[in-house]
Amino acid sequence: MKTAIHMIATLLIIGAISGGLLSGISNWADPLIAMNKQKATEEAIFLVQPEGKSYEHLNAPGVEIYKVFDGSNKPIGYSLAYEGNGFQGKIRVMVGLSSDLNKIVSMEVLEQVETPGLGTKVTESHYKDQFKNLVTVPSLNWVKEGTAPKENEVIAITGATISSKAVVAIINDGMTKLRKLQQGGKL
Amino acid sequence: MELFIIFISAAVVNNFVLAYFLGICPFIGVSNKLSSASSMGMATTFVMVLTAIVSYLLYNFILVPFGLEFLQIPSFILVIASLVQFVEMVIKKISQPLYRALGIFLPLITTNCAILGLALFISMRDYNFIESVIFGVGAGAGFTLALVIMAGIREELELADVPKGFRGAPITLITAGILALAFMGFAGMI
Amino acid sequence: MKKQVTLWQDYFKGIWEINPAFKQILGTCPTLAVTATVENGIAMALATTFVLTFSSFIISLMRKLIPSQVRIASYIVVIATFVTIVDLVMKAQFPELSKSLGPFIPLIVVNCIILGRAEAFASKNGPLRSVLDALGNGTGFLIALVALSAIRELFGSRSVLGLQILPDTFEPMIVMILPAGAFITYGLLLGFSNTLAERKKRIAQEELVRKYKPVQKAGSEEIISQEA
Repeated sequence: MKTAIHMIATLLIIGAISGGLLSGISNWADPLIAMNKQKATEEAIFLVQPEGKSYEHLNAPGVEIYKVFDGSNKPIGYSLAYEGNGFQGKIRVMVGLSSDLNKIVSMEVLEQVETPGLGTKVTESHYKDQFKNLVTVPSLNWVKEGTAPKENEVIAITGATISSKAVVAIINDGMTKLRKLQQGGKL
Repeated sequence: MELFIIFISAAVVNNFVLAYFLGICPFIGVSNKLSSASSMGMATTFVMVLTAIVSYLLYNFILVPFGLEFLQIPSFILVIASLVQFVEMVIKKISQPLYRALGIFLPLITTNCAILGLALFISMRDYNFIESVIFGVGAGAGFTLALVIMAGIREELELADVPKGFRGAPITLITAGILALAFMGFAGMI
Repeated sequence: MKKQVTLWQDYFKGIWEINPAFKQILGTCPTLAVTATVENGIAMALATTFVLTFSSFIISLMRKLIPSQVRIASYIVVIATFVTIVDLVMKAQFPELSKSLGPFIPLIVVNCIILGRAEAFASKNGPLRSVLDALGNGTGFLIALVALSAIRELFGSRSVLGLQILPDTFEPMIVMILPAGAFITYGLLLGFSNTLAERKKRIAQEELVRKYKPVQKAGSEEIISQEA
């Protein structure tokens, strides 16, 4: 009986000390962590809208969309964060769009777990830069290397075709949702 | 469809052992005999499914509502340890043959990082209840698959003339590397 | 004087004699998972050493207060507490690093090195020796991770610590930064270190044999001559 009390008491004391210590540290860390997260999102929003100075989080169901304004508070377009399946897992992209949604300003891959050295080439500038000024109507498309791309097409990376295709598909998917919102007058 | 992707992803594409390196200790330790490998795989799958359920409930119904997310790691590991203990007791009560088959592997499972990894992934990826269970089943199936394949290879490897310094763990790791390459062929399924 | 020698030994044995990664083959998961770049390898080793040192210290201080039936549970709580501290601090101060190490920081809690040293050393020895033992094992782990990640980063991305070393004409061996490369590099390193240890043992044995050889030789000659 005595050992049992001793056992329980020891565990309780250790647990209490540990809980107290952790709650203190988490009180200090939580605001910092939230700030880091916010900063990362903000950076990404302005990365795809270089002209942007301020933004507003739009309350839209199913999509993460930000309305971006320039220095004189004039709306210049949107930043859309969207994700979908790539070759090995989720790919998350941020796309800067013009106000009428018909043109991409720029695109950034935020998160991916593609094959290092092959699929990860979608994060490199010679792929990403193709999205600058890309026309989104009727929808994005991809072509193989050696073909001349039209104004709504990007050249897929040799050796990373599936990842390149996945990025295009993810953006198209997001665009479809945005268009629906636009038609409903929600933007 | 989403559920099927979660299952395939956990079982083969992002195999816990060969792509995430979780559960390497039992992978090297228990993969020298086919029979013990399959028992270990089953025991781990069983605990994984239970862990998926319990950690989902714990995280979403106790830790999050009370704002105690920072206690995630200690509480998960304690829950897993007591779960394993509990499973051991239950199996001992209801079936002696099953206990003899799985018994010695159960204590090993507590320190298997695949189990804690599973619990952490579930809270990190915001899986719902059904997704968590499927994820647990998939991860267990993938673990068992890797372990059984490895055991099959190692039984053959016993007959090979491996340089002395490379016997045991080193050759197992190299074999696992080749196996990991083979498993890369599953990528693109999702 | 004699005492100092043992203290040094407490530290140095972790570096080679019982190196966690090469001799005890403990903590394999992080060894393999985070060694695609040297930066991640170092960060992981430092985080592990931090947790190892502080939990060894605390466990060693409490070793007489904890009833042996609940010691593993108590150790786990202590370790998990320090792991959470590292996790929170890294998320707050080094968000990039914390993102690239992903779930492997929380997984330090089940790294067998820490529970292993707690059970095998800290629960039996004083705080000073336990801390030295922990630091030694941490250093050994750091050396192993740096070796592994340097090889992988050099051949996989032509660089070490982000600085390009091999020329552009060298086609990066992508397999090295894939999971497969981790397994193969670790297996090879482990094999070579075993071979080295075997050779050392053999040389020591031969030395021993040589020492006693004259006696043996004389004996065998005697037998031969007798037979003749």
